[in-house]
Amino acid sequence: MLKVVSKPLYRSARLTHGSSLINSWGQGRSFASKEREVDKKLESPEEQAKNSKLTSKPIDLSNNAPVKAKGKRSLLSESKYESKSYQLPKWKEALGEVVIRGFGLDMDKIRAGPIAGSFYYAQCKEQGLQFENEELSKTAKFFYEDLKLPRTFSQWFQITILHEWILFVRMRAMPFKYGKNYQQKLVDRTFADIELRLFEEMNVNSGRIADQYLKDFNSQLRGAVFAYDEGFYTDDATLAAAIWRNLFGGRKNVDLVHLEAMVKYVRAQLYVLSKMSDREFALGKFRFVPPNEVVVKLTHAQETAMKEEAIKRYEAIDADPNLLPSDKSNLSYKN
Amino acid sequence: MSSQPVREAALKLVKGLEQLPLERIKHIVSLKESQIERYSPVAGLGSSKNDGKAKPSLEDIKDIISRTSGPLGMQKDALKKIQAALPQEQFTVDGIQEQIRSLQALLSNKNKNYYDVGDKLYKPAGNPIYYQRLLDEIEGKKKETFLTALRTVLFGK
Repeated sequence: MLKVVSKPLYRSARLTHGSSLINSWGQGRSFASKEREVDKKLESPEEQAKNSKLTSKPIDLSNNAPVKAKGKRSLLSESKYESKSYQLPKWKEALGEVVIRGFGLDMDKIRAGPIAGSFYYAQCKEQGLQFENEELSKTAKFFYEDLKLPRTFSQWFQITILHEWILFVRMRAMPFKYGKNYQQKLVDRTFADIELRLFEEMNVNSGRIADQYLKDFNSQLRGAVFAYDEGFYTDDATLAAAIWRNLFGGRKNVDLVHLEAMVKYVRAQLYVLSKMSDREFALGKFRFVPPNEVVVKLTHAQETAMKEEAIKRYEAIDADPNLLPSDKSNLSYKN
Repeated sequence: MSSQPVREAALKLVKGLEQLPLERIKHIVSLKESQIERYSPVAGLGSSKNDGKAKPSLEDIKDIISRTSGPLGMQKDALKKIQAALPQEQFTVDGIQEQIRSLQALLSNKNKNYYDVGDKLYKPAGNPIYYQRLLDEIEGKKKETFLTALRTVLFGK
């Protein structure tokens, strides 16, 4: 009932390299032929970072704080309710539906926990997740190898909060009480998880030290969200400076090509988010675009077609008399 | 000493870096300053470290310390030490040209304009004045009063 939705990726607003989708949208072609030429020249952030000719390395290559986990936590928790294979027994599900209908519970509010606190947090967490002597995932390779970031726990935290901030920006555009709730759940889960990671993976034994770390992480989160907000609203140069201070730790021999690649990465994610309706986003249909993919701007015709399709789909869902109370949502699917 | 073409390219890069906007709030490190300092010697301009720049006043230092604590596991002055350490770098003309191109892209807001998110995200439905208010505050427009602050604490916006 409250299980996390794992539907296919949200692909409408993004195209991978060499995709034929551009040509399949015949009606949009004449409208934006000039833009298409720009689109063809676009590089993915990963390509861009890889092709940089500057060879400078970070000054301190020795990693004094590798993530050497003695016991690894699962991505979210050991709870059976968060495992993908678990199915609620039918009677529990039925009871839940009765309770939701009987008390008229607001599912949009309840959904914040499983979607923002569990599903979206897992998305943010796995982007930069790494352990010493283990192979990196594809996105992690972009951050640690292409951008030459140090493989430490606090670097992972910086990557995670960058992605969380990207989601915050979209959550602010939801109706206030729901958006706020989504943000709260995401932050709560982050710190609950970090605390456990410190004890179980980073071998911190003292509660006092863990508390100090958590306070430090908290102030980093506030500083980063503020700086990214300023950069997002003003200009690319300010955003680049914010990324440099936070993600790159303010190191002097930074590569401006890397900074530009990161700015592109962030702006592209936000672009995809801006094309999603509240309903789609709140149901957990968003995935981060991997750094090796290019986000191509939608033409006007494509956008209208995409919106029409979404409206048709959700109208049909809402009109369905057999819709379970737990699947109901009042959030808009038209914006 | 770097060769003539490299020096010329670096000079162009430094000129570009000078166009980076000033920070609205003082941070421990500044992208603009650190990069100018890094490329100035390559451009043959000499280090601009001490000329005409006054030491930070006590107020500046207090301000920085009260607003930001050192990053995790680092002493407060560690960032500055890293900044001060000049890496030995070999620059090529191609490498610097690439830096200039990226810098121009940042200065011209290339990505912001291409991936335009519109008012949907810039004036978010949940709190349309969020960003404008933030910007007004850091630009020192003094629009905030005790009551507006209280409203934010109590109602969240």
